[in-house]
Amino acid sequence: MAGSTIDHLVSVTVFIGALLLFISLFNQTLQTAVLYQQHRNLAAKCSDLLDNMLLTPGIPSDWGKRDSAPIGFGLQDPEFTQYRISPFSLMRLWSSVGEPVYYPKTGKTYSNATVGFGDYLLMPSASAINYSTVTRLLGINGSYGFQLTMTPIVTVSISEVQSKNPLKIEVIATGKGFPLANAAVSYCFLTVSLTGGQQSYPAYTTTYGTIYTDETGSALLEFSEINDDEISYAFIAYAHISGLVGVGYHQRVTSDTQYVIPFIDDLETGRVLLAHSYDVHYLGPPVAEISYNATFVLLTEDFTLREISLGADKTGKVNYGEGNPYKVVTIPTYNPGILVITYRKSATEGGVVMMPWGLSSMAFSVVFGGDPSNKEWVATDLRQVIVNSIAYQATLALWSLSYQVTG
Amino acid sequence: MEFKLSGDRLMMRTIEVLIVIIIITSAFIISSFYAVLPQPRRVSPLNLRRIALSTLQTLDAGYALSETVFKDETDPAWAQLQIALSACLPPNIVYNLTVYEVQSGNETELYRYIKSFSNAQNLGIQSDASSYLVASSNVTFQVTPEKIGEHGGGGTLYILNCSDSNGWWITGYTAQSLAADLYNLLSPYFQNTIMVKTTTQLGQILNGTSLQGETLQNAVVINTFGETVPIPAGYYSSTDIGYDPVSGHTYHYAKYCYTLGQKVRLYNWTWASIVGWPFYYVSNTVSLNSSQNGWGIYGMVMVSSYGLQAFLQGLDNQAYSYSTSSTGSPGVVYLSAQAQYYSNYYGIYPSPYQTSTRALPSSIQTAFHLTVSTLIFNPVNNYYAGAVYRHTGTGAFLALGLARTPDIRLTALGLLSYYKPRLYRSEYTATGTSRLVVLQLGQVGGI
Repeated sequence: MAGSTIDHLVSVTVFIGALLLFISLFNQTLQTAVLYQQHRNLAAKCSDLLDNMLLTPGIPSDWGKRDSAPIGFGLQDPEFTQYRISPFSLMRLWSSVGEPVYYPKTGKTYSNATVGFGDYLLMPSASAINYSTVTRLLGINGSYGFQLTMTPIVTVSISEVQSKNPLKIEVIATGKGFPLANAAVSYCFLTVSLTGGQQSYPAYTTTYGTIYTDETGSALLEFSEINDDEISYAFIAYAHISGLVGVGYHQRVTSDTQYVIPFIDDLETGRVLLAHSYDVHYLGPPVAEISYNATFVLLTEDFTLREISLGADKTGKVNYGEGNPYKVVTIPTYNPGILVITYRKSATEGGVVMMPWGLSSMAFSVVFGGDPSNKEWVATDLRQVIVNSIAYQATLALWSLSYQVTG
Repeated sequence: MEFKLSGDRLMMRTIEVLIVIIIITSAFIISSFYAVLPQPRRVSPLNLRRIALSTLQTLDAGYALSETVFKDETDPAWAQLQIALSACLPPNIVYNLTVYEVQSGNETELYRYIKSFSNAQNLGIQSDASSYLVASSNVTFQVTPEKIGEHGGGGTLYILNCSDSNGWWITGYTAQSLAADLYNLLSPYFQNTIMVKTTTQLGQILNGTSLQGETLQNAVVINTFGETVPIPAGYYSSTDIGYDPVSGHTYHYAKYCYTLGQKVRLYNWTWASIVGWPFYYVSNTVSLNSSQNGWGIYGMVMVSSYGLQAFLQGLDNQAYSYSTSSTGSPGVVYLSAQAQYYSNYYGIYPSPYQTSTRALPSSIQTAFHLTVSTLIFNPVNNYYAGAVYRHTGTGAFLALGLARTPDIRLTALGLLSYYKPRLYRSEYTATGTSRLVVLQLGQVGGI
């Protein structure tokens, strides 16, 4: 009788122990399978969502050229099919990277996609589309988070090798995985002239040309007319090979504390405000009035730049503080281009700043959406797209906010 | 402890549990063996197919890909394409690009290998591909129009090009130049296009005799002489046929217009007037050489507004009654939606707005049993600046009541909108015109 009891006790104990062990083992396998399904589903969702963004223009289809909020989100250029993206819709995305800029004279905060000194893209918050609006328009609010990154495929790096006698500029064109060997580089070299009286506006001269890169994607240019390293200039280059186009730019200025900052004021009418830099970040006295001379250049089909007149407002003066309002220029076209503003602080100090009209004109990158760091699992997918003839790579990072297996 | 497998079976349950454990362990091992978890890369893969497609589209955005794949295999453009492709893709993605020529057979399509290049020996454990069809920039795709009358009667276009007549309100043109332009525009859409070179030939077709063996019934007749209509000498100028002998009827040749209306009805023609007030004058430079139209043009006689009224009476098979017609001057008129649609369809693009000073009133529909079957311009204040009127019996009348000078593209557009011949476009996969580009992508690195 005792032996039978012991047999029962041992067998039940061993059985329960074994059962728990196997449940645990099977559960691990099932958990892995569930996670696999969840991640597969997230990857599929990521691909679908990216195509949804890139292959639809949104509602209204020309929302990129308006100031009102869209009621459907999409980035496709409404004038094209396939993976062609509107440079103006991209411009309206609130940048997740740049620190927003507050401009006291308008009382507005601006989305900041600025690349560095002299290359500005500041969009008023009322015109910029924020992340929460887009998640709502895409129908993923509360279920998924994402970050969309648009980066140019071709990087055109421009650096100054020698500052004068002659000025030497090196252009290096590289793709995502390979240098752009033997690529044609069409360039525009704009030099600023600060001569003239105290009240004069800066003048500029432009030179155009084409060179070819070597096997390493590098090309060297010499400008013998630059015999003084106090001469300000801007250099814009388009590298292109077999349909792949990239753009790069470089400026040299002699006044880097007091200059002109362009703010987009009204996308619909092309109204751009020109502000004194001290109104945005005061760097201490003394303060000088700055005169400017603005022009707008378009990229033509043969990769040359064509100047468009900005009318009587193209020249003016801006200063810091109350009683010195900002100035206004109006861009008369919805063809993407570059607003080039030469400025003059004194006979020896001046420079040039630029602003893209349409994101691709200066190959600006966009990072839009949430922060994927510290997320449990992030799926990514990418597409090659064209933004007004410039090749970009669109990358979408997607993560789940609910951890539910939905498909 | 004493084990007894038989007898009182003291440890039997423990042994059973051990057996169960062995079974479950075996089940776990076997199921684990078959339940192979995917490699980490396959858990969250890139959509290589879409990346390949978007890469091909990017390279072809400026038609560079389309140009390159049709070039000779030794052309440097191929190397440039490979550089561009390598630059496009991230370093961990390898590719193989292959180009095939599409050859169309009777029922099948053959793909002939042209060229291939790759940046790796193989494409790793996982790859995907997209194909992209490109057309040669040298190809002109042929468009074959359906012939009017091909599936029914008719199909003949008569263009009045009578050398013995003068035109009016075709300022800047001659009837002959307009006829030539109309021929070029419209002859592809008709089975027979015949230039009526003299008023004698006009008389012949009015008599019901074909000029070149063509089908007379259901034909289209375009009068290129503007407000004037050619009149044959002889029978069609004779009393009570083309000439109204009543002394009080100043514009005697209104009777000829009546006869024309009857012929249009008889042969089920579509008569087209290209500009102005239709049938306002008649012209024959030989038989009427001593008469002038009131404005100094000899060989022409005014019929005034009586001509249009008489024509419509003849078309409606009413008794001839010498009476006036009226037109309106609505000013600027716009192409109808229907005309704009066919403007795009046939690739004929006249100005979408025109000036009308001789628009026909809508009242003619009830007075002469006409129906507007094709609206060329939107009506303004019950005036039709351009329309095709279909008689409830037989016959139709296209009238463009525009100010001079005429734009014959409007006449062509009106007729094509009325008959709606289809356009058959050539096959996209014609031999030598298309190539298939296949881009296969794979991922390298990692597991």
